[in-house]
Amino acid sequence: MNEFEWLRQTRALREPVSPRRDLWPAIDAALDASSEASPDVPARRTGQHIQRWLLAASFAGMSLFAGSLAVHLRDRPLETAATPTTTQDIERWRPSDPRLAGAAVELDAASMELRQAMEEAPDSPALQRLLYRTQKQQSQLRQMEHQAG
Amino acid sequence: MPPAPAAEPVDTDDVRAAAAGDRQAFHRLYHLHVDRVYGAVYRLAGFDHARAEDLTQDAFVRAWQKLSGFRHESSFSTWIYRLAVNVALMDIRARSADPVSMMDEDSLPDHGETPFCAAEREELERAIGRLPPRARAVLVLHDIEGWKHEDIGTELGMAVGSSKAQLHRARGLLRKVLGEQ
Repeated sequence: MNEFEWLRQTRALREPVSPRRDLWPAIDAALDASSEASPDVPARRTGQHIQRWLLAASFAGMSLFAGSLAVHLRDRPLETAATPTTTQDIERWRPSDPRLAGAAVELDAASMELRQAMEEAPDSPALQRLLYRTQKQQSQLRQMEHQAG
Repeated sequence: MPPAPAAEPVDTDDVRAAAAGDRQAFHRLYHLHVDRVYGAVYRLAGFDHARAEDLTQDAFVRAWQKLSGFRHESSFSTWIYRLAVNVALMDIRARSADPVSMMDEDSLPDHGETPFCAAEREELERAIGRLPPRARAVLVLHDIEGWKHEDIGTELGMAVGSSKAQLHRARGLLRKVLGEQ
């Protein structure tokens, strides 16, 4: 059989074929499901976004707290710094000891990131807890320097 | 580009309505095009009705989701046909562990007679269905659907020469099964 003859036969197979059953009910159901799922997408993305913030902030907070604790345990005298009195002072406070100054900068950054995350989800209890914890760590850091001094 | 379908149904109004979210219009488009879409998918799926049904459903769901981006540069018939073929080829790609493997000739049953009378059509379909997925895709797209090797190579991610080689081998296997030299 030459190629022409072969193609003549195979091209004969190129014709519409009806499905054995009506596929529309399944397609219709799938379209319903996809349209119901669509509104959840932004919420899911926001949730994932917040989760990333939470993870990053908690990791930064915990590692900084551990680092600052290690610094505190080292038996070396630390210089005294002025004691802040307001929340803003706490965030702007910079210890004079360079070993604590790095931790203070990181805690400030974590606090700022958490505040940004809370602008997207102001009612998130988890974010509120993390912010409270970060502020507490800032306060502890301040106390460490005070006691060492 | 693959050849245009033989008959282009007049569906412009329904296409526009469906793109605007009219499900009834899309239902009418489904009825108008399902047989041609299903036929192509059915052949690419190796004449397996169950798989062809799943793939056709998937193709229409994707068509609904992408319809707002349809630019009317081609007919809806050509667009949905192409989309459905892509869905079937993606399925082949996903299922093909070895993209260039071919069926062992010894595993094909021998058959005595030369086709092709109407009664032997089913036999030809069965033989095509038993080809390895990629080889079947090349043979179906070239010999049945009338695609060029350049288009097949683009869709299947292979060189034109590989497409030709796959086709040659697939034809050889089929002819052996169908009893030719």
